[in-house]
Amino acid sequence: MADINPLAPGLPLAIDPEVGGPPTAPIGGIPPRAGRPIARFGRLGPNLVLILCAVFFLAPLLALARYALQNVPTILLGRSTLFKKWSLGGLTKAFSDKQFGPTLTLSLKLAVGTVFLTLALLLPTAIWVHMRLPKMRAVIEFVTVLPYVIPAIALVAGIVVVKPHARWFLDSNYSLVPFYVILALPFTYRSIDAGLRAIDLKTLVDASRSLGAGWGTTLRRALVPNLRTAIISSAFLTTAVVLGEFTIASTLLKNTLPTFQAIYVKREPQGGYGLNLLALVVTTGLFALLTLLTRKRGSRKSTAVVAVAATAGQARTLAP
Amino acid sequence: MTNTIAAVGGRTISAAPAAAAPRVRRSWAWIGVVPFFAFLSLFLIVPALSVFEQALHNNTFTATLGEHTVTSGGGFGFDAMKEAFQGQNLDAFWFSIRFSAGASLAGVLIGTLLAYAAVTAKRPKWLRSLVTSFSGVAANLGGLPLAFAFITLMGRQGLLTKILTYFGFNLYGGDFNLGQVSGLITVYSYFNIPLMVLITLPAIDGLKASWREASANLGGSSFTYWRRVGIPVLTPSLLGGFLLLFANSFSAFATAKVLTDNSKIVSLRLGFFLGGDINVGQDAIGYALAAWMIIIMAFCMGFYWVLRKRAERWQT
Repeated sequence: MADINPLAPGLPLAIDPEVGGPPTAPIGGIPPRAGRPIARFGRLGPNLVLILCAVFFLAPLLALARYALQNVPTILLGRSTLFKKWSLGGLTKAFSDKQFGPTLTLSLKLAVGTVFLTLALLLPTAIWVHMRLPKMRAVIEFVTVLPYVIPAIALVAGIVVVKPHARWFLDSNYSLVPFYVILALPFTYRSIDAGLRAIDLKTLVDASRSLGAGWGTTLRRALVPNLRTAIISSAFLTTAVVLGEFTIASTLLKNTLPTFQAIYVKREPQGGYGLNLLALVVTTGLFALLTLLTRKRGSRKSTAVVAVAATAGQARTLAP
Repeated sequence: MTNTIAAVGGRTISAAPAAAAPRVRRSWAWIGVVPFFAFLSLFLIVPALSVFEQALHNNTFTATLGEHTVTSGGGFGFDAMKEAFQGQNLDAFWFSIRFSAGASLAGVLIGTLLAYAAVTAKRPKWLRSLVTSFSGVAANLGGLPLAFAFITLMGRQGLLTKILTYFGFNLYGGDFNLGQVSGLITVYSYFNIPLMVLITLPAIDGLKASWREASANLGGSSFTYWRRVGIPVLTPSLLGGFLLLFANSFSAFATAKVLTDNSKIVSLRLGFFLGGDINVGQDAIGYALAAWMIIIMAFCMGFYWVLRKRAERWQT
């Protein structure tokens, strides 16, 4: 049970640390090193790759942190100034800017709106498809890839075309919500779909219905609690998408947090880098929290962990 | 769409005498997905089609009268689509294809090596899950913070630039620039490598130890194993990964926008068109750029889809 991913046999349980590769051949008394050429070459090459990658992935973050936390221009940076003027002030500098509040509020509202619209749209659809139209699943899965085929910058070109006919709608800041639902669709659909595949939907619904519950009650009291992990993960992924979306917002001249992040750096470099560092930390934190939340449930070995593992990381590879 | 559903429903009926009950179910089962498809059409399909509708015009003349934009002249035709692939626009496409292919290739090579290193490492048990978890996060990074992080590292006033200068090496001595091919490849590798790790990990896991043993038993060397078994099995994943990373790099906008104003990057060029910074009155060409972009993306994603299905064959 632990070794095989029930959703996609063969996919690794990406965030489950205890699971190694499934043993393929009985090893018995043979020393496992014998058949492994790797051992002969040593681990030099792979270890070098790991170390170089670690440096490559950490360096930009550390540089950003330096510019956010130390107020010394690069030109003056030297032995004498290396440890001077470090402070956490750079992180919060942006908070006092009068544009910060409104843009943050707007982005948070957009995030909440997008999460709710996503769930309202996807939960019933995905449940319906699993229950009544299982053959349709392939079609829906294919359709959810379309936001990759039509990238944000091309989508916004389309919005600009449509704009003269729908000014009443597109002039509103909140008109971004449905487009953000679309942008997050590959993530959210995969998350919810994986969650649904992990539960015995038909039994749950039949049990609930035969006890006299209507569809609303079934959804609220039987399905949602069982899909909690999938719902939480899709909400987190959606929030991360909304809080980072720049292309559509900046082209349509909406003042969201990311557009402010871009403008503010030019005006106040240190504060701007601080704000971007903070944004990075928050987004990464969202993902880490997601992993943590689901791992706690995973101690009960619930299949929901698998659902999240399959989506949080792999949604981008469009793995089913 | 309706046809497929009808076919599905039709198969379940199978000449039963009580045809009335299934018929009722068939007639309303598809209604459940109508809101979803309506939403998708309204906010994704309609904008995408209207891009093509605008692009498939002969040379147009556009005037703005107060609130209204009037487009006249230019019936259906391929002028704009052709023009979007000529002159400066063609240069832009070549530039974008070059750096996207480079970024994709770097991602495929390093990502595969990293995945292999993580899979084969036995000692720290947490290493593999660290690599996968981090890849899950980093593959989704990008956009502004990442671009700013690289500016602080390798920009003209960047930390690495400064450190290298201290050791007597001028990073900007050659033709390095964050907005040129070399810089874009470096920055895009930050999300391409982790994405490739996520693509190849299952594939590398799918390489069964028994295959290696079988190859060894038949007298094959390690080289023979990789040439005859390993690489062929991994090929669909590697090719698919290349296409996905290419598409990923080609369509990135926010990261590029912060790094540079280079209008040779197609996505930025499209952004300039939409912002009205280039050639007012040539709207159709801007939309033709978007249309070509969608076509290229559809090509990449379509083949990726096919290759992924192929790669999964060995992953059971």
